Amino acid sequence: MCFTQNFWNLVVSGLADGFLYALIAIGYTLVYGVLQLINFAHSEVFMSGGFASYFILNAAIGTSQPHGIASVGFLALGTIGGGLGGAVVAFLLERVAYRPLRRRNAPRLAFLISAIGASYFIYNLAGKEFGRNALEIPSPFTNGPVFTIFGATVQTVYIVVAVAAVIMLVLVDRVVATTRLGKGIRAVAQDAETASLMGVNIDRVISQTFIIGGVLGGAAGFLFGLPFGVVYTMGFTPALKAFTAAVLGGVGNIRGAMIGGLILGIAENLGVACTQASWRDVVAFGILVLVLLIRPTGILGEQLGRAA
Amino acid sequence: MNRITLRFVAPVAAAAVALAGVGSAQVAAASNAHASTPTYTIAYEGPLSGGNAQLGLNMKFAVQLAISQANAGKTFGKLPFKLKFLAEDDQGSATQSPAAAQAVISNSSVVAVVGPAFSGATKAAEPLYHAANLATVSPSATAPALATQGWSNFFRVVADDNAQGPGDATYVVKKLGVKKIYTVDDASAYAVGLVGAFDAKAKQLGATVTHQEAPGTTQCQAGTGNVQQYGALATQIKGSGDPVTFYAGYYCDFALLAKALRADGYNGQLMSDDGSLDPHYVSEAGASVANGTLLSCACTNLTSSKVDTTFASQFKKLAGFPVGTYSAEAYDATNTIIKAMEKIGAHVKRSALVKGLHKVVYAGLTKTVHFQPDGNIAGSTVYIYQVKNGSIVELGPVAKLVG
Amino acid sequence: MSTVAPRVPLVRRVWRSDDARRGFACVAGGLVLAVMTGPSGSGTAPTSGFTGSLFHVRVVGFVLFGLVLWGLITARSRYSSQVRAFSAKVTAAPRRLLPDRRVRRVVYLAVLGFAIYYPTILNSFWQEVLVDQIGVYVLLAIGLNVVVGYAGLLDLGYVAFYAIGAYSAAYWTGALPIHPLFHLNPFYAIPLAILAAMFAGVLLGVPTLRLRGDYLAIVTLGAGEIIQIVATNLQGVTGGAQGVIGIPHFSVHLFGIRYSWGLDSLPYYYLLLGFVVIVLFAFRSLENSRVGRAWVAIREDEVAAESAGINVLKYKVMAFAIGASTSGFAGMLEASKISFVEPSDLTVQFSILILVLVIFGGMGSLPGAIVGAAVLQWLPQFLRIHPLFGFQQQDLYMYLGALLIVMMIFRPEGIIPSRRRKREIGLAEHGVGHADAMGHTSGPVS
Repeated sequence: MCFTQNFWNLVVSGLADGFLYALIAIGYTLVYGVLQLINFAHSEVFMSGGFASYFILNAAIGTSQPHGIASVGFLALGTIGGGLGGAVVAFLLERVAYRPLRRRNAPRLAFLISAIGASYFIYNLAGKEFGRNALEIPSPFTNGPVFTIFGATVQTVYIVVAVAAVIMLVLVDRVVATTRLGKGIRAVAQDAETASLMGVNIDRVISQTFIIGGVLGGAAGFLFGLPFGVVYTMGFTPALKAFTAAVLGGVGNIRGAMIGGLILGIAENLGVACTQASWRDVVAFGILVLVLLIRPTGILGEQLGRAA
Repeated sequence: MNRITLRFVAPVAAAAVALAGVGSAQVAAASNAHASTPTYTIAYEGPLSGGNAQLGLNMKFAVQLAISQANAGKTFGKLPFKLKFLAEDDQGSATQSPAAAQAVISNSSVVAVVGPAFSGATKAAEPLYHAANLATVSPSATAPALATQGWSNFFRVVADDNAQGPGDATYVVKKLGVKKIYTVDDASAYAVGLVGAFDAKAKQLGATVTHQEAPGTTQCQAGTGNVQQYGALATQIKGSGDPVTFYAGYYCDFALLAKALRADGYNGQLMSDDGSLDPHYVSEAGASVANGTLLSCACTNLTSSKVDTTFASQFKKLAGFPVGTYSAEAYDATNTIIKAMEKIGAHVKRSALVKGLHKVVYAGLTKTVHFQPDGNIAGSTVYIYQVKNGSIVELGPVAKLVG
Repeated sequence: MSTVAPRVPLVRRVWRSDDARRGFACVAGGLVLAVMTGPSGSGTAPTSGFTGSLFHVRVVGFVLFGLVLWGLITARSRYSSQVRAFSAKVTAAPRRLLPDRRVRRVVYLAVLGFAIYYPTILNSFWQEVLVDQIGVYVLLAIGLNVVVGYAGLLDLGYVAFYAIGAYSAAYWTGALPIHPLFHLNPFYAIPLAILAAMFAGVLLGVPTLRLRGDYLAIVTLGAGEIIQIVATNLQGVTGGAQGVIGIPHFSVHLFGIRYSWGLDSLPYYYLLLGFVVIVLFAFRSLENSRVGRAWVAIREDEVAAESAGINVLKYKVMAFAIGASTSGFAGMLEASKISFVEPSDLTVQFSILILVLVIFGGMGSLPGAIVGAAVLQWLPQFLRIHPLFGFQQQDLYMYLGALLIVMMIFRPEGIIPSRRRKREIGLAEHGVGHADAMGHTSGPVS
């Protein structure tokens, strides 16, 4: 096979991509669960997280070169900052672009169009305000090869992404499964009308869902921006991939989104080894179309309500 | 009652209002050439907005500077005519370019155009310029096909991709003595042409070439690719063990690839083209990654060489930002046009200027400009540069380095 | 609600009232507008755009604008019945006239006459704009209107069919690296290009139109991306990133008629105008035919339509293919006019732009699609020459995005709505039907 030579290398870089897809995909899946709506503008939540962490770390680190425990502290700061930025934008997005339509019980087409409009508005506004060149996030550590496993080079940034993502994925899984908030989300996802009759404040639950998705998406924006820098157009492709991942795992299903993300990341990297790098998106979309045609409910099925 | 009225009256009214606006917005051709010294306009067509705006602005201000200097009698002494400047925005896009060209052509005082800046835009607009017999001197359109369409009014002051690619390949194989090369292009028209010429020459000189295409990313201006591709690409390059990686494309993506390669532990020599010959490459990749990188250009770059510091300082004064890629070429293109006009005298016609440009010889900042019959520049030299201690230093022309 | 229990303190009562909420939204909108039209920031000074537009005298104007807007909205909601009565009185006379067939015919002819005559007095720049930026987009909007407006499907990969049309033109004229069996002038290749685009529409439509509506949006978005990647990468077939040069202009040599289109844009304009008129007639009769009624049924209630014996998939595919072939023709015409196709122009943004034109004009409304496309495509060109309110070309999509949200919130039926579409949206909002073909209605009712 074409990828046997670099197999483990590609798996490792694929996992790093996959964790990011998983984080973003959860934002899609949660919102889809409660609203049956693809939040097209989630890409801009991701982008906003990247910019928020850029500004915070720029203020905190500046031009100095942190080491050791300070590095870890700055990484946590960046992740939280990105998450906050994402959450604020996701919250505003729901308030401005979706809630008025929901109040009116507008057709689904209207939601999608409003979402597309929001996406274009937000990222072009970011381009106008923050310039259209990529900005480097001051790195809390020096990136480079750390160790090798099965002959695969593992870079510092892969470890950072994996650790941060695993912590957040476990947290969100527990929150949705065990807390009162999670119960509300699951209730609305299962049957909104009944939930509201039972005293669940639907508006609040929806806002909270957007915020959770926004925190994960924004934090992913930071982790993505660490090696690559942040720029106003950064959201589009990763978010589209993450959506693919969400569908792959079963839209509306949190664990499905995680598994879908990891599978997509690895498949994409192996696929590239067999073709040119420029066909990468074709590989991802090919997977999406195949899944939709063969098993539209995804690997784990669509059921946020019974996720836990 | 129904609302049919609104459905049909409104479109008519809206169309009328819209078109009335169009009418009033017509650009009146400037024709105040009755004074003793006639006034001519040199136009510039290139991207002034959109994803490639910066590249276009680099050129626009250089053209403007050359015109104001000529008017002040600094470049050629006292001229028998006055010059005006006109800038038209084509966003670097082929579908926007014909309209921009029409705006230039319909202005009867325009005698020559600096541009179009991009190859695709040139392909779409040049038939119109050719029909109007209006000379265009491009500072930056490098597609080889442009010179083979029979457009007698087409000129460019940069070497085409066929010149730069082989020059780079010669340097890598002969000077560095490397027999295995990994080449990557960003899938842009410019890079694909360049890398094709590079690969062909390298193979002809006996090297083996592995080629990958990695589209310019959304992380950079006007890209569409996914930035995560560089992880897998770096893995493959490192796995190949090739001692030299040549990248055809622009600095922003090259910086990302360079960082990915070094992060993956690749220690080979990096090399790229004039699209990457930009201080931003060093700042975005970081000096530790960028140091040692070879860059090439069929031009002398002003940020690093001794050619002209007054141009650089005056450009900065006018534009508010330092000279960038293609600024000097645009300056040379403009001065070449003015030189040809000066030879003709006070009464410049579009057709006469086309003829004049075919004969002109002008010693510019980047090179001595003299055009071949097909509009390509004669005797192009490819220069090699290297990043040393975080700044770009010129090593010299390929022919001299290879010896 | 404005009827709050009297125990609640006055401040809170005012704060919670609809009026206060609206006022807050209006002022916030004014501030957002101030930032949008204000100076740009940059990477090195990321806050300068905000400070330059908010801490500056101009902000007063925008806040005032927000307050005036608030006043107008409040007045309108207070006196809505009077306003409606007044406007009914003013438009009563023309309203009585227009259902008259003869009057309508005169209006049509007047518009057509204007469309024929007016371009001849424009300068060559505006003639060029009229074809490249307006005419082609009007045609594209009319075509996408069938998909989005008539059938209620969201197609975000409309550019794919435009590309197929453009590359068909290149293929049949022998401009591509691969050659056809026989070369054709693009004029005779028009039917072939339309067929190719239609075939592509069916090919993409048959598997994907079974999917839920929002999946369709994603799959078509992906298809649009893939077309660009394929056009860029298959260098041996499409000429790759450098594009295809040397596509000849249209020319006719039939029944003693000899005509060649050339560099002049007016002949292309008239060709386009002729095609638009034909398409308009065709789509209008389609709208009122069995097919059109089937689309209405699918839009209003897909399940009911299916159980009434309508082959839903067939009619969806039909709409998709009709839209695709229109886009294919537009692509072919533009490719032949500028003699060149370049993959870097075939972006997702292009598809979105056409969608904006349709939404702005009015989904399902032919006059809406035409006026929407003409106005929105003309405006940026006008603003380029006369930059008002700090408009900058590179911010175009920011304005269009904002426009989409505002339209969806306040006027989802577009500036010139189709009567039927407007009624459907109203019905859907009262819980009857869907007004689109996206499957079930969205979200919980609150």
